[in-house]
Amino acid sequence: MVRSLSVDERAWVDGLRRGDAAAFDGAFAAYRRRVYGYLVRMTRNKDTAEDLLQETFLRLAQSAKKLAPDTRLAPYLFTIAHRLVVSWARAQQVRAQLAGEFVEPVDHRSPLEAVADSQTQLALERAFAALAPAYREVALLVGVEGMQPSEVAAILGQTPEAVRQRLARARGQLAESLGAHYPGDER
Amino acid sequence: MSWDLPQADVDENTSQRIAARARMDLGRGRPRRRLVLPIAAAVLVAGYMVWAIAKLVEILR
Repeated sequence: MVRSLSVDERAWVDGLRRGDAAAFDGAFAAYRRRVYGYLVRMTRNKDTAEDLLQETFLRLAQSAKKLAPDTRLAPYLFTIAHRLVVSWARAQQVRAQLAGEFVEPVDHRSPLEAVADSQTQLALERAFAALAPAYREVALLVGVEGMQPSEVAAILGQTPEAVRQRLARARGQLAESLGAHYPGDER
Repeated sequence: MSWDLPQADVDENTSQRIAARARMDLGRGRPRRRLVLPIAAAVLVAGYMVWAIAKLVEILR
């Protein structure tokens, strides 16, 4: 399913193509939390997520004039954010290899546990943090961001079938971790 | 499937700093300095390959 652009999104894209700062501010205000939520849950580190958030919007600003008129900003921004996360993860792997046996233990907790306002949210945040990154990413983009598997496939450079498989595994693992807190299948 | 995860956001100062930094680059294109390192690496590798091939040819003659 290809969704059409909202009125705001069309105006922001037109404005960005003209180099209009107000259009950038509108897009930044609309997408900042969503992109940051994705980044902080993928990196599990607030400082890294802030750096990658800045880089994501820097790249949007730098390529603003080259945007196609029908660009949908959410997939565009999440594609940039996904690539930045992949690069960051590779750099982390290299660092871990170089560090050898002196590598620091990985912290599997989410930095967002402190802002959960119910036991269910806390359980959900922990269950997401415990997922493998490939499953967590798909669960975040489909289950939290509300994207279609075909859109997520385009963002990740995967086939829609591969995304559906990852999603099914993510759902299974979440159901297992959450037990009574599992909200059920609403889609 | 719809998951109600805790809300995440950067603080106001960070948000303003990021927006201000990005606005400075609005419509300017990718900075050229990003190309310097890959070009330098490509030149070094190409130079080494030329030298290695020349040496190989010299040995085989």
